[in-house]
Amino acid sequence: MTTVTGLVGAAAPGPDVAPSKGLKVGALGLLSSIVIGVASTAPAYSLAASLGLVTAAVGLLAPSVMVLAFIPMLFIASAYFYLNRVDPDCGTTFTWVTRAIGPKTGWMAGWGILITDLVVMPSLAQIAGQYTFLLFGANGLANNRFWVGFLGVIWIIIMTAICVIGIELSARTQVGLLSAEIVILAIFAVVALVKVYASHVVGSLHPTLGWFNPLHISSTGALAGAILTAVFIYWGWDTAVTVNEEAKNTKRTPGVAAVLSTLVLVGIYVVVSTAAQAFHGAGFLTANSNDVLNALSRDVFGNGWDKFLIVAVLSSASASTQTTILPAARSALSMSVHKAIPRRFGTIHPRFLTPAYATTWFGALAIVWFVGLSIISNEVLLDSILALGFGIAFYYAMTGYACVIYYRRLLFRSVKNFVFVGLAPLVGALILTWAFLDSIFVYSNPANAAGAQVWFRFVRFNVHVAGIHFYADGLGPPLIIGIGLLVIGLPLMLAWMIRHREFFRHTAEHAESLHTPAPPLTPGAAAPTD
Amino acid sequence: MAGDIVLGYDGTVGAQSALRVAVALAGAFDATLAIVFGYEPNPMGGETSDYQDQLRRLGEGFVGTASDEARQIDPTLAVEPLVVGLRPVDALLETATEREARVIVVGSMGEIPILGAILGSVPHKLLHRSKIPVLVVPHPD
Repeated sequence: MTTVTGLVGAAAPGPDVAPSKGLKVGALGLLSSIVIGVASTAPAYSLAASLGLVTAAVGLLAPSVMVLAFIPMLFIASAYFYLNRVDPDCGTTFTWVTRAIGPKTGWMAGWGILITDLVVMPSLAQIAGQYTFLLFGANGLANNRFWVGFLGVIWIIIMTAICVIGIELSARTQVGLLSAEIVILAIFAVVALVKVYASHVVGSLHPTLGWFNPLHISSTGALAGAILTAVFIYWGWDTAVTVNEEAKNTKRTPGVAAVLSTLVLVGIYVVVSTAAQAFHGAGFLTANSNDVLNALSRDVFGNGWDKFLIVAVLSSASASTQTTILPAARSALSMSVHKAIPRRFGTIHPRFLTPAYATTWFGALAIVWFVGLSIISNEVLLDSILALGFGIAFYYAMTGYACVIYYRRLLFRSVKNFVFVGLAPLVGALILTWAFLDSIFVYSNPANAAGAQVWFRFVRFNVHVAGIHFYADGLGPPLIIGIGLLVIGLPLMLAWMIRHREFFRHTAEHAESLHTPAPPLTPGAAAPTD
Repeated sequence: MAGDIVLGYDGTVGAQSALRVAVALAGAFDATLAIVFGYEPNPMGGETSDYQDQLRRLGEGFVGTASDEARQIDPTLAVEPLVVGLRPVDALLETATEREARVIVVGSMGEIPILGAILGSVPHKLLHRSKIPVLVVPHPD
């Protein structure tokens, strides 16, 4: 009897295995590219989670930060675009850094993706729990740490189950949900601005051009913190550049989708942040940073109508939870296929056809992390978002560096190469590296952390080195969570390295072309099925 | 080829009973049996390429085993295992149309009906969309 592989290889040649999707390319290809990019970024949830934090850092200059923070994102997206073109591996940064710099750095980049996805989960669960109670008018429960935690855990369980079983919304439903989200945010901004000009709301301000000028930001520390926060707001946007098999077949769609989704996102963030701070001032946003959109919605829309914004936040959070769990599981799958973590993480469930093992693990860890953080931190949401900025800045910067290093031989072939493959990714990576390092200084002072909670009180120093003042009196939670989780990766990597050398035998490579697909990183890599 | 029997196969118990019926049909009509596994990852959540590779391997395992089984039942049968990168329903419709198939054979969702309601049942969608006759083989119990 013929062997299975031989049999399939003979009977199912290229075209059957590599799907031809010509039929599906068209108007929907572009639209769904944009929808996936914008829905992954989750504007309503991102604003709900972080608007108060941005105003806490820079006051009325929040709209300028929304624009400014987009610049590094745009530059890094260029790196995503070019790296994805030759190596569309779902390990993304993990695979690219392994190729460009080496396996150890690549492993840490992969770890960065996984923990960043993990760190955002408490914030998502918290918002989901809180806004569900608010939707039903249970305002008391919405402020009760236990019940919000309880509902948050249920949220994580349901979302994980959806990803394990492989339930998908149809493209049309997604377009509908996202359109509703954007329309509600737009109506919110318009109503708020109309009320500001027409009826002199208490504490309202008329927008001035100064709000949009980043040069007015008082200190570089505030700027770094604000950028780290705002980077979170745009997190996920890069999927508009990389994803979508349908879009890949046309030369034009990914670029156009990226530009259009950019305009939509930057537009939403600038307009909504402007309207929000015009309505009650920046101080109100900072003071209500826990449930900022809900607090505003009540005053802007009045009773009843305010629920629409809450629904938008919830639908946005559910899209964001999905676009967190799915790529986390796929990154783990990729790391497992390349033998960088145990084989089981690469298994596909034979019935559901999803990476069920990795997904379940991720959901379980997210619950442990959420419950743990709810117990020890006073400000789950705020500490998570700030810590998250470290993770995102870390692996986005790695992506930028990987692009420049991987394509180093091609950078000077044309002006276009130099600008889009070299300069933009490098500048993006440098901006993020700076925001990362500067924020370490900022958050090593617990007074700058949202809850002003102090952890690790034994860390005390006060020295001047080369004109820079290093000072710590205990550390703030965002720093410990953000940097701590990254650092935990090192011993884990070493432990894996001692027993499993194979992945670490990879040597760094460089690209010969911007178009030719890169050879497989791990030839013949296969993971078992259950 | 015109007149093929197209079987949707995903390794479940229902698919196995459909396999036996499809083998009998192909034998009776002296037709080629195309055994199809369709897959397409959720486009949300980023790049999918090596996830797709893993799915393809899984599918190759399924249709490979099914082909062996079909040949065991009827050694003279012409069998073609196919892995198609489309959602199951689209994979079956496309293959069947391309080959001007005589009939599409699938198993009914037997084991957990509620799952069929959530995930969407392949036989149900096929019955509505197919221009080629569809044979739904009941679950064996």
